[in-house]
Amino acid sequence: MTTHAAALDRGGMDATEVGMGVYNMKLGMWVFLLSEVMFFTSLIGSYIILRSAHPDMFAQPGEVLAVNLTAFNTFLLICSSVTMVLAFAAIERGDQAKLKAWLIATALIGMSFLGVQVYEYIQLSSHGFVPSVEGYSAAGAPLYGSTFYTMTGFHGFHVFVGVLALWYLVIQAFRGKYTVANHGAVEITGLYWHFVDLVWIILFTIVYLI
Amino acid sequence: MATTLTEHAPHADAHHHELSFVRKYIFSEDHKIIGIQFLFMSLFFLLVGGLLAAIMRWQLAYPTDAANPLPGGGLFPETMVNNGIILPEFYNSAVTMHGTIMIFFAIMPLLVGVFANYLIPLQIGAPDMAFPKLNMASFWTAFPAGLIMLAGFFVEGGHSSAGWTQYAPLSADPEWTGVYAGQRLWLISMIILGFASLMGAVNYITTVINMRAPGMTWFRIPLPTWALFITAILILLAIPVLTGALIMLLFDQTIGTTFFASATGGEPLLWQHMFWFFGHPEVYILILPGMGFVSEIIAAGSRKPIFGYAAMVLAIIAIAFIGWLVWGHHMFQSGMNPMLGMSFMVTTMIIAVPSAIKVFNWLGTMWRGDLHFHTPMLHAVAFVAMFVIGGLSGVFVASTPVDIFLHDTYFVVAHIHYVLFGGSLFAIFGAITFWYPKMFGRMMNSTLGKIHFWLTLIFFNLVFFPMHNLGIAGMMRRIYDFTQYEYLAPFQGLQLFISWSAFVLIGAQFIFAFNFLYSLFRGEKAPQNPWHANSLEWTAAPSPPPHGNFAHTPTVYRGPYEYSHPDTPGDYWPQNEPGPAAPAPEPVYAE
Amino acid sequence: MEYAEAQAGAGAAHEGGTSTKAYFVVFGTLAVLTVIEVLIPTRLGFPKNVQIILLVFLALWKALLVALYYMHLRYEPKRLKWMVIAPFPLAVILVMAVLTEF
Repeated sequence: MTTHAAALDRGGMDATEVGMGVYNMKLGMWVFLLSEVMFFTSLIGSYIILRSAHPDMFAQPGEVLAVNLTAFNTFLLICSSVTMVLAFAAIERGDQAKLKAWLIATALIGMSFLGVQVYEYIQLSSHGFVPSVEGYSAAGAPLYGSTFYTMTGFHGFHVFVGVLALWYLVIQAFRGKYTVANHGAVEITGLYWHFVDLVWIILFTIVYLI
Repeated sequence: MATTLTEHAPHADAHHHELSFVRKYIFSEDHKIIGIQFLFMSLFFLLVGGLLAAIMRWQLAYPTDAANPLPGGGLFPETMVNNGIILPEFYNSAVTMHGTIMIFFAIMPLLVGVFANYLIPLQIGAPDMAFPKLNMASFWTAFPAGLIMLAGFFVEGGHSSAGWTQYAPLSADPEWTGVYAGQRLWLISMIILGFASLMGAVNYITTVINMRAPGMTWFRIPLPTWALFITAILILLAIPVLTGALIMLLFDQTIGTTFFASATGGEPLLWQHMFWFFGHPEVYILILPGMGFVSEIIAAGSRKPIFGYAAMVLAIIAIAFIGWLVWGHHMFQSGMNPMLGMSFMVTTMIIAVPSAIKVFNWLGTMWRGDLHFHTPMLHAVAFVAMFVIGGLSGVFVASTPVDIFLHDTYFVVAHIHYVLFGGSLFAIFGAITFWYPKMFGRMMNSTLGKIHFWLTLIFFNLVFFPMHNLGIAGMMRRIYDFTQYEYLAPFQGLQLFISWSAFVLIGAQFIFAFNFLYSLFRGEKAPQNPWHANSLEWTAAPSPPPHGNFAHTPTVYRGPYEYSHPDTPGDYWPQNEPGPAAPAPEPVYAE
Repeated sequence: MEYAEAQAGAGAAHEGGTSTKAYFVVFGTLAVLTVIEVLIPTRLGFPKNVQIILLVFLALWKALLVALYYMHLRYEPKRLKWMVIAPFPLAVILVMAVLTEF
């Protein structure tokens, strides 16, 4: 039997042969992301179900929502996934300068995504597309607003948390905390960030294009 | 005795600095301390849930009887209890909060918060959980959730009153229940508690997968850890669905969305589906760990290997897996598509099979065993008997045509309490008594333990068995004054009998509480392995274990159920013992 | 331990083998697929049902690319891949079963 299997993993990159074959923090993040799949299923699933039950209460693509602006926003988020993976690749080969640069880029693009979303929310609500029954005057019915804001709002909240994590990584990177042998935090933040991008890919398609 | 069994060093971990009292016992990262924190918190909530039940039973005993005021009724504000009469609004919130508190703040944390935390690292040979800080965060998230839930009792309008299942639109529109702040506090508390559960689940799953000691293969893991591991997967995937539903309900209540309000396009049935998609795995979360504990206690108490260990593991997995496919059986009366209803009936019947396999295997373990009926064993055997009764009543309600009559009656109340009290709670009492020596280094008093057990078993049956009859006769759930229905008035006597049995039952629990607290200070000092069990918490760590658990990482050579093995002189064979084990000189608690 | 040793020998490409170039190829694919997706409801005149099928297919394709290459799943142990699949059947069952109600 292996001799190192029970070592308490302190965030390093020791891959264990016993178990899943990935270090604790990575396994933990994947496990957490599976719960997030179920969470977004409950929200997006509810949207699918409610829309299927009351199609007339929703609108066609482009009628209420700004498809082109959000398509650009989608492209932004995909760009941030690229910068994230480049940051990870950088620290894998020990390039501290590139790590910091790409991490900062990812955080800034993430913040831009949020900025565009906030702008979009303001535009929509000024045209009567609100989450509440009271004050709703856009095409479709209040159910459309309820589902739209809840889904995109919680996605946006996840992006916000991701941005905070990214700035934390930036600070730690400037303190020299990450090395070739020890950069689990970068990898798992990357996993979270890509997941948030992935959810948006699904959301954008289902909510804006269908 | 072999050296591996008696080694214990004061500090088994890398750090040698002394922690402050606060860092050691309050904001602790040690899984054992966190488990014990959950233990004290949930025992307190068990008491609160019990008191709420007592209030309900008083009302059902004396529905219209001003001559029998609620004892201590003067302590309650007039909006709850007026001149000793329990007001209907308060009764509804007592019903709601009894269910909520018992399920989420008592049973679930007792099974998972306590024992997943305490047992998993010890049973797999790890020094602690994979993420000790996250573990600390998990308790300190659950605790404020508990405080918020309690706060709901003290706000204007009272606490949530829409039933623990919170069906919309009753739960979504404050106008129907008259409850405003209480409902919001309920939702917020539950959302926060969900995060605590999720943090725990991530920890338990990662730890079991990645941190097993050398030689601890999957099929050498003790059944409590197996059960807790599978339960953690259920928590991981079910709780987020509940969280989504709770958020939608909270938004309906606060920002005016319309997910569940049919007048504006919402669908009340959507709430039911989302809730029960979580709710059914939830009930398996509430029983599987208990099954794991019972397997451990029965094997140790019979001095025999668990009958069919692999089948027991596969049965746990099968129950968990099929458990995702049965949720509609809570909704047979909702007007659902009959084809859908039939599918749920079939899957629900199927799930009885792995449960039955487990029952037969427990019996097979005990058959011709060297039976030691100590207190944990009594509770474990009672679990098997009571769970069978609960399971049988489950077959009745699983059948859609039968459920048409039994839905929302006391028959269901009987079923759920046979599995939750007769099942889970007996398993919890047994598990607490069994692992108490490991946790606190002392034995609980065995005489008090047995008195508590017999009183509980007898009065539990006196309370809940008649409810089968009440249900078949048409007594509905959550009813404040059943005497308003002529056909139910004859059952006043039976309700009175049940209530007084319940008061004795609740009173008997104070024997357990006293035993628990008294033994902390005056209990007999416990040896390392009082039950002569095989798993690592008994054989490789002292009572209680130090921070870091093991002086050296144990190596595992066999499964945990090698009792009375022909190749070894004693009647047990520790998992970490390389060769045949010598019989232990310390006494086993045999009576 | 072994992982760090593998690191030292691996250089720029880690033990999974995704090079920087591959990341950009994936990025390009994602961008193109996004453009196609936007064109489907706005320019190309397919019937609604066909639109839905195409869009869901494209979205899943993009999601898989992100998961397999950016999240590195393609190069992770098989056990991890199986674990990640676990919630999806549940999600599908939940939505499909409830859709039969409406």
